[in-house]
Amino acid sequence: MGMAAGGGGGFQSEINVTPMVDIMLVLLIIFMVVTPLLQHGVTVSLPQNMNNPEEDTRINNETAIVIAIPNDGEYWLGKTKLTKDQIKPKVETMLGNIKKEEDKIVYIKSGVGVSYGEVVNVINEVRGLGVDKIGLVADKKKKAGSTAPAA
Amino acid sequence: MAMGGGKAEGGSKAVPYINVTPLIDVLLVLLIIFMVITPLKPSRFQADIPTQRDPNEDLSKLKPNPLTLVVSISTDLQLKLNADNIGSVNDTAPLSQKLLQLFQQRKEQHAYKPGMETRSDLPESERLEKTVFVKAPRSLKYGDVVKVIDAIKGAGANPVGLQVDDLPQ
Repeated sequence: MGMAAGGGGGFQSEINVTPMVDIMLVLLIIFMVVTPLLQHGVTVSLPQNMNNPEEDTRINNETAIVIAIPNDGEYWLGKTKLTKDQIKPKVETMLGNIKKEEDKIVYIKSGVGVSYGEVVNVINEVRGLGVDKIGLVADKKKKAGSTAPAA
Repeated sequence: MAMGGGKAEGGSKAVPYINVTPLIDVLLVLLIIFMVITPLKPSRFQADIPTQRDPNEDLSKLKPNPLTLVVSISTDLQLKLNADNIGSVNDTAPLSQKLLQLFQQRKEQHAYKPGMETRSDLPESERLEKTVFVKAPRSLKYGDVVKVIDAIKGAGANPVGLQVDDLPQ
């Protein structure tokens, strides 16, 4: 009777690859689900399946001003929750960091169920600072079979 | 009896038999999951907002632009283009069509934005007057307003302006 493959000296050093891959997959899925939530500070149910938004990678810039409105009355700038009165001064400081005129744009990530009046409130707060463009963040329709987005 | 393949020498080394086929299956599945779930490049609708209203400004001196287009949404989700009823938030096709028609007309008539008449260095689509304003009551859901903006952008409006003063509740 031959010895079990790889075994010797009483130590079992044969690696079962199958359970290892299972565990790795589970870990990977956990990360995939948790990481996007951590990065963007607060989850917002953005409008989905829109046909015509334009891509704008400046939204992910560190200097980008992104105000998230997950629910009525909640205003978030990055990971910090703000009251309505804090929006204007905070945005003003961030605007000071933006050099180019065409980058003076405030992005609003609002959830589909939020009332439009809330978005208008944010717009009114920001108007006086010389901002004349806002970006309403929305998700583009995912086409079935599309390849990874072009860089 | 000879040992099965894969074992280099007797005794001390552990040589795992890696089945490559399931490994590739698993990797492919992962890849497909990533391609579908990974957040796309962020995208947004850019819209213009009016500057702070100057309380001293005399509005009666402003001349209305005959080419102005205002899409109003009412609280019961019906749409109006200037003064004409034209579909609803859930049926934006008539609005898109009408706008496409209008813009096509303007293209034929060379209806340019004020100041763009002589700028032949810019492409037609930037010179034509295609501004559309959106007016919606505050109580409307944001999702509905975005659907309308989506339809307007699809018809080629550029820029889209949001009216934020004097909104109904």
